[in-house]
Amino acid sequence: MESAKTLQKALIRANPKTDLYVDLAEAATGISLVAFLWIHMLFVGTILFGKQIFDLLAESLDKYYLAHIGIPAVIVIFLVHIFVAGRRAPWRLSDMQTTWRHARMIAHTDTWIWVGQVVTALIIVIMGSIHVWSVMYEWPITAAKSALRVDSGYLWFYVLLLLAGEYHAGFGLYRICVKWGLISNRRTAGWVLKVITVAIVAIGLGALYMFKKFGGAL
Amino acid sequence: MSNRQLKISVFRYNPNLPDDKPRMQEYQLEEQQGMTLFVALNKIREELDPSLMFDFVCRAAICGSCAMMINGKPRLACKTLTKDLPSEITLMPLPVFKLVGDLAVDTGTWFRDLQVRTEAWVHTDKEFDSQALEDRMDNETALAIYEPERCIECGCCVASCVTANIREDFIGAAGINRVARFMVDPRDKRSDAQYFEVVGNEDGTFGCVGLMACDDSCPIQVPLESQLAWVRRKMALAGLKL
Ligand code: HEM
Ligand code: SF4
Ligand code: SF4
Ligand code: FES
Repeated sequence: MESAKTLQKALIRANPKTDLYVDLAEAATGISLVAFLWIHMLFVGTILFGKQIFDLLAESLDKYYLAHIGIPAVIVIFLVHIFVAGRRAPWRLSDMQTTWRHARMIAHTDTWIWVGQVVTALIIVIMGSIHVWSVMYEWPITAAKSALRVDSGYLWFYVLLLLAGEYHAGFGLYRICVKWGLISNRRTAGWVLKVITVAIVAIGLGALYMFKKFGGAL
Repeated sequence: MSNRQLKISVFRYNPNLPDDKPRMQEYQLEEQQGMTLFVALNKIREELDPSLMFDFVCRAAICGSCAMMINGKPRLACKTLTKDLPSEITLMPLPVFKLVGDLAVDTGTWFRDLQVRTEAWVHTDKEFDSQALEDRMDNETALAIYEPERCIECGCCVASCVTANIREDFIGAAGINRVARFMVDPRDKRSDAQYFEVVGNEDGTFGCVGLMACDDSCPIQVPLESQLAWVRRKMALAGLKL
């Protein structure tokens, strides 16, 4: 770029690779969180095969310390992601106004999807934290405790978190594919990721239904 | 069959008049066969309102000066037929660029600044010899240069981009595409490290969020999606090797 005109620009230029590292961190934390979220949903989905299998999985994750490494790691990645991906969101009031007016004016699908991503991010920050806290508070995880939680008014909380999380993850991965050109055509990428997202949401809703059923019978 | 009556609502504002306030003004006119917005706007200026400001030069989608927001989408007015639009049409100037007045914006200063910042010229130490034959280039390379070079600097991609709308220094798809053109040119002797210095930052390739409004808005279909991704990958690799 043109020669730095101010002290601040000159100092930023002195470390030219920072922007690259932050961009890579955004993609890396994003991909890790998607991988975690999808595996997480598959694990939760074992409830569809019965309480025993769910409890067995939860116990072995605990016994072999996978949970003890995994949960703090995910929390750290989550926090880093909030910083590096969150920086793209329009936080200044004037930027929010411009973004909103512009998205409405050009009525462009991918631009709206991104606005949705910023909104779901806020939902995930709040609800995800509550979710992690409430599960850790009553450690260890068992099907019975989860069923009680879902049945005691948490059902709509989980439905909303599931939809927000899967929307954010699916379209986030889509955006990574498009930005880096990982899949030759963005319509293909969008199609594949929508199918996966719908499947994961279905598993999640199925699991919630099972928990609700078990909870009601307790 | 009677012709449609068009209701054209135009953004009016002259920033050079101290008391002027932005407003929308409506004009009614009869649609004619094969009418483009270029024709419609000139009819308005000739018959209804000589004070209306807008830009045209080539009226053939070559010069890039007539881009405006047509019913919210950045398009070339000379390439847009009124018959493809509903009878109520809203026209706004392109955002991002400096407002000259009404529908006219100054894309020239913005693109000039872009050329300077991205050093958009062939960097070579070879002495130019006007008598010598040009060096031969294989067809594939020539086409790879020609594709991004087709850009007419209309500014539609920049106007459509949320990032360019909220980050003043972002060079936009047109800028990244411009650098890509030099990257494939064997006559430009810049190293990857030098290109990294130019676009390997938040004002350049790493500032792009990947919304692809640019790709969907380019009136002459410069393949911006693949250009942006290619530059991003290339600059990431170059940066990691530095
Ligand atoms: C389940 C948890 C989450 C997952 C799976 C996830 C995943 C992703 C992915 C894959 C991307 C695309 C990254 C890229 O384009 O390089 C992304 C973008 C984004 N994430 Fe998250 N994320 C999660 C939580 C959050 C949270 C809590 C925030 C709160 C600030 C957040 C804010 C954002 C924002 C603002 C973007 C858009 C950035 C951009 O478009 O460049 N995400 N997310
Ligand atoms: S992909 Fe999006 S952010 Fe990147 S230049 Fe195009 S419109 Fe702007
Ligand atoms: S890339 Fe396309 S939309 Fe952008 S300035 Fe060039 S011609 Fe216009
Ligand atoms: S007048 Fe030249 S592109 Fe429309």
